[in-house]
Amino acid sequence: MASMNTVLFISFLLFSVGVAGVLIRRNALVILMCVELMLNAANLNLIAFARHAGTVAGQAFALLVMGLAAAEVAIGLALVVALYRKRDTIQVDNINLLKG
Amino acid sequence: MEHLMTSIGSHLFLVFGLLAVAGAVSLVFSKNAVHSVVGFLFSMLSVAACYLCLSAEFLAVAQLLVYAGGIVVLFLFVVMLVELTKYKESGLFQRQTAWAVAAVTVGAVAFITVFWKTVFGPSATVALTLDAGLAQGLDVATQNSQAVSRGMFAGYLLPFEILSVILLVALVGAVTLAKKERV
Repeated sequence: MASMNTVLFISFLLFSVGVAGVLIRRNALVILMCVELMLNAANLNLIAFARHAGTVAGQAFALLVMGLAAAEVAIGLALVVALYRKRDTIQVDNINLLKG
Repeated sequence: MEHLMTSIGSHLFLVFGLLAVAGAVSLVFSKNAVHSVVGFLFSMLSVAACYLCLSAEFLAVAQLLVYAGGIVVLFLFVVMLVELTKYKESGLFQRQTAWAVAAVTVGAVAFITVFWKTVFGPSATVALTLDAGLAQGLDVATQNSQAVSRGMFAGYLLPFEILSVILLVALVGAVTLAKKERV
C-alpha cells in the first residue's frame, strides 16, 4: 500500500500543475482542463484520507466531486462555445469585458 | 511476502502518480490543443490506476467512465468545433507568466514546509472498516462497490439527490447557452 506521504506528494504535484496551468495559459479550454486536474488531486486526497481513517465516506465524497466536475464541464464548454460564437476567439486575453 | 507485496504496491502508486503528473505537464506545455487533450486523457488514466493502487476499485472504474469516456470526448469535440489554428501564433502563455510562476513557487514552498513538518503514519492496512450496521454481510476487501454504495446511500443520500438536481440545472443551462439565438 502506498504511504500517506506519497499520496499527498503526488496530489500536491498534480494540484500545482493545475494551478500553474490556470494562471499561465491563455486558451480557455486548457484552463478548464487544468481545473479538472485540481479536482482530481482533491479526489486522490479524499480517497487516501478515507483509507487512513478506515471509513468509506471519502470515496462517496469523491463520487460527488466527479458528478460536480461533469456538471462544471458541461457549463464551461457551453460557455466556451457561446463565447466563440460571439467573439470569434477563446483566448482569455481577448475576453475582458462582461458586456459582450 | 506480505512486505514484498506492500512494497510493490507503494512503488506502483508512485509510478502511476508520476505518470499522471507527466501527463498534466504535457497538457499545460503543448502547443497543439489536441495534444493537450491527449495529455489530459493520459493523466486521467494514470489517476484511475492510482485509485486501483489505493484499492478503490469502484472509483477507478467510475473515473474511467466519467473522465476517459465522457469528459475527454466532450473536450475533444469542442476543440474540433472551435477553430484554434488561426490563433496559434498569438502566443501560448499570458504576459504575467513570470509573476504567476513566482506565486505558484511561493505556494509550493509553503506547502512543502508544512508537509515535512507533518508526519502521517503508514496507511491503514485494512481496506475498509465500516460501521457494524453498514458492513453486515459484506466482505469489504472484495466488495468495494457495495461498500461505497452503502456508505453513500446510508449516510449521504441528501447530497446525492442535490447533486442530481445540480446536474439537471447544468444540463438545462448548457442547452440554453449553446442554443442559437433566434433572429
